[in-house]
Amino acid sequence: MRVPAYVYAMEEMLDSLGRDKSLEQLVNVATLPGIVKAAMAMPDVHEGYGFPIGGVAATRWPDGVISPGGIGYDINCGVRLLLSDVTKQDIKSNLDNVAQALFDIIPSGAGRGGDIVLETEMLDRVLQQGVNWALDNNYAEKDDIRYIESGGQFPHADPAKVSEEAKKRGHDQLGTIGSGNHFVEIDEVSEIYDENIAQSYGLQKNQIAILIHTGSRGLGHQVATDYIRIMMEAMPKYGITIPDRELACLPFNSNEGQDYYHAMAAAANFAWCNREIVTWRIRKSWSNLLGISGGSLRLLYDVAHNIAKIEQYEVDGEKMKLIVHRKGATRAFGPGHPEIPQRYSSVGQPVIIPGSMGTASYVMAGTTKSMEATFGSACHGAGRQMSRTAVRKIVEINDLEKKLNKQGIFVRGSRRGLSEEAPEAYKDVDLVVETVQRAGIANKVARLKPLVVIKG
Amino acid sequence: MNFRHQNCVLLGIIHSTKMKQIAYIPHVADVCLEIKGNTINELFEAGLEGMANLLSSKVCVPHEEVPLNETITLTSIDVTALLIDFLSKVLTVSYVDKAVFRSFDSLEINGNKLVAVIVGYSVKEFDEDIKAVTHHGAEVKKGKEGQWETNVLFDI
Repeated sequence: MRVPAYVYAMEEMLDSLGRDKSLEQLVNVATLPGIVKAAMAMPDVHEGYGFPIGGVAATRWPDGVISPGGIGYDINCGVRLLLSDVTKQDIKSNLDNVAQALFDIIPSGAGRGGDIVLETEMLDRVLQQGVNWALDNNYAEKDDIRYIESGGQFPHADPAKVSEEAKKRGHDQLGTIGSGNHFVEIDEVSEIYDENIAQSYGLQKNQIAILIHTGSRGLGHQVATDYIRIMMEAMPKYGITIPDRELACLPFNSNEGQDYYHAMAAAANFAWCNREIVTWRIRKSWSNLLGISGGSLRLLYDVAHNIAKIEQYEVDGEKMKLIVHRKGATRAFGPGHPEIPQRYSSVGQPVIIPGSMGTASYVMAGTTKSMEATFGSACHGAGRQMSRTAVRKIVEINDLEKKLNKQGIFVRGSRRGLSEEAPEAYKDVDLVVETVQRAGIANKVARLKPLVVIKG
Repeated sequence: MNFRHQNCVLLGIIHSTKMKQIAYIPHVADVCLEIKGNTINELFEAGLEGMANLLSSKVCVPHEEVPLNETITLTSIDVTALLIDFLSKVLTVSYVDKAVFRSFDSLEINGNKLVAVIVGYSVKEFDEDIKAVTHHGAEVKKGKEGQWETNVLFDI
């Protein structure tokens, strides 16, 4: 190990930490060339491939490594929260209709595409421009852009570094959510923990909010696959050996390292554009169904939780530019950071933490402490604790649907997908969030209770 | 292996024979395939079939449906990477063609090089969204019983 490994966890979580290989993977991350300070695991950590999911690692710019395994196959998988002008009471009688309308309008499902099919030239523009392509083509609201991490457009994107196969996989997937743990959810703000920050964010108790979780779809998956292969073949040239092939990495300033970074940026742009177009679909459906009484849907924030960014931090008294890898971890910039919107400058960046279906999600706020402790990072969700096979054995789909209905939750999606995503499959999100709060790396602002869940 | 059954062609799914074995092992976030074969070719057959089973449970196609053939040529750093790269390539072709490939028309493996023609059928939808075939835990080697074996973890 070149640096220590830090795990953020409460005592009651320690037992479960030892049940998979996440700690072993964290120790492997600590061997990466150029890694700085520590390899870190957030409290929702679980076994991934290469990096654990819930992992944060920063390497020295420009010659420290960049590792696709430190970002994940779903490049810029992320989440955004839309805030409405209505309360649960206002739409209570219409929830089932809203559930169906959203399910009908948002393409979802394994490998499934949507109605936006792009030729290569147009797709290249999406990869270059990100959410700005959506704006130019009337799929976005201008005001959204300042509330998206990196303005929804990575400037370093180069579509030429994305393979034709990746483009073929993604050409019909813009504006779709996919399947697995991706979803759209209508939530009620059930609790406010910090009135001051909530006011800055525009959050109120009983307010209806809409959570969207999806990423770069097949395009991003293929970019990661392509470059892991390229890097594995090139590593001997740079004298790099690693304990796990999924940690394949190269110096950031190598030709191949730069190619990956530019391709990753392009895939990230696809994902931001994707979430913006899903938002466009939701707004259209919301307006069609509820009319003027539904009001508008404003974007609180959009965060990536699988990405690498070039950021500056102070480490042991020295200011450094670093390549920060967040794999299943969310950026959590504190108050005053120039990259967060002016509206949130005094309170810190919104950190959106989706829980599991049937439990709760959270809005948190980034802190100054996170900038010092975790390279401006926090957890990304509840973290999976049970395999899909295991949860299908213990959760009977009819019972799950009844239980969710009894809780007042309307569900739409494939039955198998629903059972695999049952709350039992995930860690206790309340505990994960409490850990982050006690560590001081993000502060609780609001708790969200699901009312409608749409899964692929 | 094909069978004639009623009005369709049954794409015989054999999970365990003396030649090859396919098993699915629980894994926290993903799906893990355990495969074995008496030869390297059989191991690759098991991998292809095992992944096909995840992508689609469709085992019966109308007689008149025309099979799709795809040629795959690969060189990798070693035979383990060759298997993962091969399955990755098949996965890509599956999603691009909207088809599931379950068998070989031909397969030549020479060390870390492969030339294959895979055979499949189109599907309307997939049962599973496999993001990627990962290298995690994969190691092609001979087991105690003398069969070639490895695990393959799919990111779902």
